[in-house]
Amino acid sequence: MHYQTESWGTYLPPPPPPTTTVNDPLHGMERLASENAVVIFSLKGCCMCHAIKRLFCGMGVNPIVYELDQQPLGKEMEKALVRLLGTNSPVPVVFIGGKLIGGMDRVMASHINGTLVPLLKEAGALWL
Amino acid sequence: MASHRVGETGLSDSGPSHHHHHHQHMPYSVLPAYNPPNTGFINQESSSFNFGELEEAIVLQGYKINNDENKLPLYTTVPRPAATLDMFPSWPIRVHQTPRGSNSSTDSGSAVNVAIASKPEAHCHTEPESPISSNSRKTLSEQQLQQQQQHQEIFRQQLQHLQIPEQLEMESEGGSPVTTGGSSHSQQTPKPFSEKRKGIGSTSERTLDAKTLRRLAQNREAARKSRLRKKAYVQQLESSRIRLTQLEQDLQRARSQGLFMCGGAGGGNLSPSAAMFDMEYARWLNEDQRHMAELRKGLQSHLSDSDLRVIVDSFVAHYDEIFRLKSVVAKSDVFHLFTGMWATPAERCFLWMGGFRPSELIKMLAIQLDPLTEQQVVGIYSLQQSSQQTEEALTQGLDQLHQSLVDTIASGSVNDGVHHMAVAVGKLTNLEGFVHQADNLRRMTLHRLHRILTVRQAAKCFLVISEYYGRLRALSNLWASRPREAVMSDENSCQTTTDLQMVQSSQIQFSNFG
Repeated sequence: MHYQTESWGTYLPPPPPPTTTVNDPLHGMERLASENAVVIFSLKGCCMCHAIKRLFCGMGVNPIVYELDQQPLGKEMEKALVRLLGTNSPVPVVFIGGKLIGGMDRVMASHINGTLVPLLKEAGALWL
Repeated sequence: MASHRVGETGLSDSGPSHHHHHHQHMPYSVLPAYNPPNTGFINQESSSFNFGELEEAIVLQGYKINNDENKLPLYTTVPRPAATLDMFPSWPIRVHQTPRGSNSSTDSGSAVNVAIASKPEAHCHTEPESPISSNSRKTLSEQQLQQQQQHQEIFRQQLQHLQIPEQLEMESEGGSPVTTGGSSHSQQTPKPFSEKRKGIGSTSERTLDAKTLRRLAQNREAARKSRLRKKAYVQQLESSRIRLTQLEQDLQRARSQGLFMCGGAGGGNLSPSAAMFDMEYARWLNEDQRHMAELRKGLQSHLSDSDLRVIVDSFVAHYDEIFRLKSVVAKSDVFHLFTGMWATPAERCFLWMGGFRPSELIKMLAIQLDPLTEQQVVGIYSLQQSSQQTEEALTQGLDQLHQSLVDTIASGSVNDGVHHMAVAVGKLTNLEGFVHQADNLRRMTLHRLHRILTVRQAAKCFLVISEYYGRLRALSNLWASRPREAVMSDENSCQTTTDLQMVQSSQIQFSNFG
């Protein structure tokens, strides 16, 4: 599996080198993310993650939540996210339809703009 | 001349006592009213030599020169001091004076360094050079100039010394006891001391070896460094002082405009960043008035759409500005923001996460913004919905934080206390994230409104928003200034009248929306 560089979009300007190890944490995350319509990577005890979970549940979406501190390679994933996103609080991170959306502010922006719901419908997470 | 000899012996004999003298004469400001140096010296000359008086004279000349700068006509002439001092050409420390008049004064960053700076390569003593001795080798005008400059420098340095720790001095002089006593010492290092320090030979012989040269160079270096440090410190102090006065001025201005009501209540409990934010908020409110006036005028005068767009865009930028300011203060004082201490009490009562609730605002606007197209109605309605959902989610996230905090603080044995507190502090840092997201939501909601509406509608919309919050603030002030006696009176009619009178008297302009 190679990176879907379009989905990483603004976060990753240059495409990564083709020789990526299987153990690459971002690779692992993407694999997990593509298995479900809405995937949230979170940390236990992170309140913003709780908020984002409540947001999706409030819209009628059922997200799959992976707690990074309970994942194998979780620590590496967390570090990779920190490097990628450039913030100290990498979680929560949301994938919709296997594509990286971003953190709370991105999700919120998308929702206010009215683009979140179509995205969810497209991914099959929302009906009606 | 007899006086010179006296002077010399006086100097050589009373070496240690000099320091004592100097200590006594340290503070310039408390020096007594002084007779003109000329007469003083002349008097002294004839009688037994009073070294303390000489020192006073020298010191005061520097004082006088500085006062001359400050336009205090204490003394009439400046060149006099040089002439009088010139009466004691022989000095224990004889220094070869290279023509470095201007350099020496600028060079000397510390009182001690006055002498050090003017020390030439050929100098074999590290003691401060006496300006008096140097005079003997220069022309009178040169001496005067140098004297002036040196004295000015000395005096300035005195002031700095009073503030700056002595360590800086110590370093520059290599820990010489001469320097710690104060700058006035610089000119009168006794001969025996100098001889104790340098077993090499008098400067008059001008014999130097490499070691002394290196030592001199090192001293110069250290002196220079300490001078620079001092300069930087003083500059820092100066800039902070200026900033402080500016802040105070701003504060005065804001207070006088009556927009600073809530800040006064907090009073001394404000952290500096909170106080800064309060002031900037007051300024922002002024800006708000200006923007509102502009919008009103624009709408009434039926400007073209493009012109109106400019005004509306500037209004949006104006709101972006307050969100930016809030994000800045959130980093240092999140509680100030969260508890709404910057807002009026009425606003504070209905605050949501450090500001207004977007869905509430949209609800209020929807009524005012008729007529809207079908598409716009749908857009605004869905905006209200998504805003509401996000607010819910953030509120629940905050509740989770609160619960977690309660658990942390409540639990924990006596042993674990400190650790639990540390964990609690860590959890509190999440507050900033929530306020940040709430402000994000507010900002994005406003931007979205701006996009859904036409220019004219947007202008009206923003006018309504500003007007609404203006009225809320006015309500708060009204409430605060209502007569308390009315509460206790049992005549409701009286109360009503008083309120009405108050409303009339307070100049609240309830202009129509749009």
